[in-house]
Parts: sequence; structure tokens; C-alpha cells
Amino acid sequence: MQAAETIPDTDVRTDEELVGLVVGGAVDWFEELITRYQPRVFGMARKYFRNESDVEDVVQTIFTKTFQKLGSYKGTAPFEHWFMRLSVNTCYDALRRRRNRPEHTISDMLFDDENWQDRLGNIPSGDDPEGLEQARELVHTVLDQVSDRARIVLTLQELEGRSIREISGITGWSVSLVKVQAFRARKEMRTAVERFLMKEKRL
Amino acid sequence: MKPNDVNEHWQMKANETEQQFLKLAKTVRTDERVPGGFAARVMSQVREQHALETSSADEQFLRLARNLPDNERVPYAFEKRIMARLHDLLTPDPLTHWSRILWRAAAPCLGVMMLAMLFSAGEPTDPSAALPADQPEAADFESVMLASFDDLELTW
Repeated sequence: MQAAETIPDTDVRTDEELVGLVVGGAVDWFEELITRYQPRVFGMARKYFRNESDVEDVVQTIFTKTFQKLGSYKGTAPFEHWFMRLSVNTCYDALRRRRNRPEHTISDMLFDDENWQDRLGNIPSGDDPEGLEQARELVHTVLDQVSDRARIVLTLQELEGRSIREISGITGWSVSLVKVQAFRARKEMRTAVERFLMKEKRL
Repeated sequence: MKPNDVNEHWQMKANETEQQFLKLAKTVRTDERVPGGFAARVMSQVREQHALETSSADEQFLRLARNLPDNERVPYAFEKRIMARLHDLLTPDPLTHWSRILWRAAAPCLGVMMLAMLFSAGEPTDPSAALPADQPEAADFESVMLASFDDLELTW
């Protein structure tokens, strides 16, 4: 009995219960939803944006949108799915808006100390923050070269290991469209990597 | 013949032979024939090598990207910041409220304006024409009423 009392209420409430409470007017319960999902959302947003202020902006938009659209959540699917779909779509919209201002050119990302091929082959260990940061920069630089749709599909399929059907569910695109996009995305990525390697060989 | 003369003789002979050989070598044309499909063979090797390099780079890139751990670090008190923003959104701003009301009133106002325009379009533009012939006093009344304003203009 005593043990049960020590467990805070928030730990036993499901996402759906929390949504019900927030929609019912207990807005403060939304903070619990934010606390639950914010690490995942930050992790996801950092795959699409390298600039930390862009990441914070997009995460803030995701949670604000979630709050505003919470009333439209019917509860037919788990909240997590609904929320992730909204998050990915918000990232996609933000990517499209940002498309007009490319952050880095190919020449910016040619390294003095090591060549691309070496960097691609070196997977940094978890206790090498500098190496991890450099690897992230490299991944962002290549993915910045592909289209927004391709980036979404590549991230979901190749990096997160999601199936075509799952991607279709998340993005709202048809299965056949996702298949076509996945094929194109792979081609775009190959071209981007090739372009970097060729540019480096020419120098 | 002295030994030196013999040597010179052989030396000359050798030079002659060398010259003849070089002359002959120069007459031989360069054989520029190419085995059939040689270029295609080389190109296929080049392509293979290129494909191997790029596909491995492609795969290497994906392997690298997949192996990067997710950075799930959350800025300090981020949830508080979001909640404060949401509370701001929920708190009605009087100016926003007022502008919303004004916008809502815009449509009826426009409707009233249109109706007034329709009514006035039906009215005659010449005020004297609108006056009935049996009431000339109305025009006189107007000129009397506005006379003071006309004087005012003159004084200025």
C-alpha cells in the first residue's frame, strides 16, 4: 500500500489517459506528455537539422501543433503513432521551408586532414565526441544534398529501419509512392556521395 | 695491320651496322592495330572498378549513418518553456480578441454599405429634381441654411 503511494500518479497514466485529461481541460497534464516524448523528438529532429536552434524551433512547433490538434486524436491508433506521424510531417514541412537557404556547399565539406573515403570507413566510438560530431556533420552534409522527400524516406527506412508500410503510415503517402521515393532516395544519396568523392579526387 | 688499326676497323664496322639497324628500324611503321573490342573491355573494367568504389562508399555512408547514436539531449527545462508558451496561447489577448470582433463585424458592415449604395443608386442625383414642383420652399430652405457657411468662406 505504502509502495503504491510512493509511485507518482503520472507513472501509471497511459498516453491516451493523459490526452483525455488535457482535452478535458487539465492542460497541465500536457507537460507529462512533453517529458515523455521530448528525448525521442529531439533525437528525431537532430537527424533532419544540424543547427541546434532549428532543432529547438521544430520541436517547439511539434509540441504546439500536438496540443492544438489533440482534440482531433480519435484514439483508434496508439497515441505514439499519431504523434510520430505529426512529428515527421512537421519536420518535413520545416525542411521544405528551409530548402531555400542551403547551409553548406560541397567545397565547405572537403577535409584537410583526412579524405572522405577514410571518414566514411571510420565509425567513431561512443566515447569520442569529436569523432561523433564530425561523423554527424558528414551525414548531414550528404543528406542536405538530397531532396526533402528523399531525406525523410532515407531517414525512416535506412537509418531507423522502418518498413515501407510503416513509412506509408507515418507520412500518409501511399505504399507505391513510398516505394518509388525509396528507390529515388537511394539513387540521390548515391549521387551525393559520388559527387563528394569525385570533387575530392579532382582537387 | 697493327692492333690499333684492327680495332678501328671493327669499330667502324660496328657503327655502320648500328646505323643500318637504326635506318631499318625507322622504316618499320608503328603498328597501331587495336584488338577487337579492346576499348569496350577496358571501359567495362573501369566501370566495374568505379561501381565497386562508389557502391562501397554508398554502403559505407549508410553504415556510418546507422551507427551514429541518437542525440536525445534535451535543453534544460524545455518542457517548462513549451508549457509557458501554451499557457500564453490559451490566455486570450484583449487586442487579439478586439481585432477578431472587428473582423467579424467587417462583413455585416460591408453588407450595410452595399445596401446603402443600392438605395442611393435608385435616388436622382440632382437634388432640385428630387424636389416636388409644388414645394419650392425646400430649395430655398437649403440655401438659407447654407448661406452662413458661404459667408464664412468669403471672410477667410
